[in-house]
Amino acid sequence: MSDDVKIVMFCCNWCSYGGADTAGTARMQYPPNIRVIRVMCSGRIDPQFILKAFRDGADGVFVAGCHMGDCHYDAGNYKLDRRMRLVYKLVEDMGIGRERVHHDWISASEGEKFASSVKMMVNRIKDLGPSPLKAQLDAEG
Amino acid sequence: MADKAKVGTMWLGGCSGCHLSIADFHESLLDVLELAQFEFSPVLCDTKYDEVPELDVLIVEGGIRNEENRELAEMLREKAGLVIAYGTCAAYGGIPGLGNLHTVEELTTEGYINSCSTVNPEGIIPNEDVPTLESRVRPLGEAIQVDLLIPGCPPKSDVVAEAILTLLNGGTIELPTTNLCEVCPREKPPAGLAMDFIKRQFEVGKPEDDLCLIAQGLVCMGPATVSLCGAQCPSIAIPCRGCYGPTAKVNDAGAKMISAIASDYGINEDKTVDPEQVADQLDDIVGTFYTYTLPAALVPAKMQKGGK
Repeated sequence: MSDDVKIVMFCCNWCSYGGADTAGTARMQYPPNIRVIRVMCSGRIDPQFILKAFRDGADGVFVAGCHMGDCHYDAGNYKLDRRMRLVYKLVEDMGIGRERVHHDWISASEGEKFASSVKMMVNRIKDLGPSPLKAQLDAEG
Repeated sequence: MADKAKVGTMWLGGCSGCHLSIADFHESLLDVLELAQFEFSPVLCDTKYDEVPELDVLIVEGGIRNEENRELAEMLREKAGLVIAYGTCAAYGGIPGLGNLHTVEELTTEGYINSCSTVNPEGIIPNEDVPTLESRVRPLGEAIQVDLLIPGCPPKSDVVAEAILTLLNGGTIELPTTNLCEVCPREKPPAGLAMDFIKRQFEVGKPEDDLCLIAQGLVCMGPATVSLCGAQCPSIAIPCRGCYGPTAKVNDAGAKMISAIASDYGINEDKTVDPEQVADQLDDIVGTFYTYTLPAALVPAKMQKGGK
């Protein structure tokens, strides 16, 4: 167990960021290990962003978007969904671990789901411990 | 002779294929030799590491694979005015970079003991007079300061000749900022670039003439590759493998291409296509998308403890 893990979370502007707001206004409690980055659509998430987060020291990455069919731009989240399946295989092959990346759908009204998903992800990463990438690169000098 | 620029070339962790591209300058060689003299080049001269002359331009092929590569790179950097990382190995690590998926122990055991063409019953791994492998392959730019990248596997002779002539004439060199699709003669389907399946070339047979290869189910790295080669491979129905590396705007060519393929796959049936399908149809993600650029990627090597 390691308590000071950092998780980068990408939230889409229209649903998941709203979900974070709902969780906030309802004063729901969730661990502070998460750093939220707002993007206009989850379809904007390039696998480069996820790898860059790991490169810069993140221990996990969580991508959240609108539920299927609710995308503000019609189908951005469907594209993200396909992309994430490839990212899961990539991070597994690179030894970072499939479990360090997660994607889920959180609507603007689902403050409860936002808080519980964040809790779940933080617990999962705490169990895994810090990401090996930064340690390995630092050790190499 | 004194007014000619002194050019040196060097090979490090590469295959010397890029030097063949220099040897293949053909008639441009006459123009180059008007302005320059090759003073140090293991492919052309008898070179001595303790007698390296001062050089105006040094062309380095290959990345940093072992300690000797690093030592020579640092020594030659001191002697040279301008260093060109020449070829994809020097610029991005290249194909040897796929060795970053394994530990040094795995590589030496495979190379010296397990490979089927090796006879080594006592299992001896050479450790004298052989440079030690570094923990992973690195692009040249991570060991020394590099002034210019000319990627390619190998870079086309006329591109290199032109670049060197421009430099010797005091001009500046700008690499293209567009991707391969900009110069590719194949046409994108008018309805949009959509993939319905992913196949390998032998499953497709001869692709249709004039139609984009991605639309025909082949993974062509064109969208994430710089347009320096003039789309030679797609012109003759071979999908691009990304050997020239990405444009300067891209941090991680493989990730960029993953993004492109996942978006294009089934884009016309976004809402009904099974999201798992595209991942199912691609077995070797790293080998497909990072063939030439793994050491320069955001995650440059495989982590060894399974993410723990």
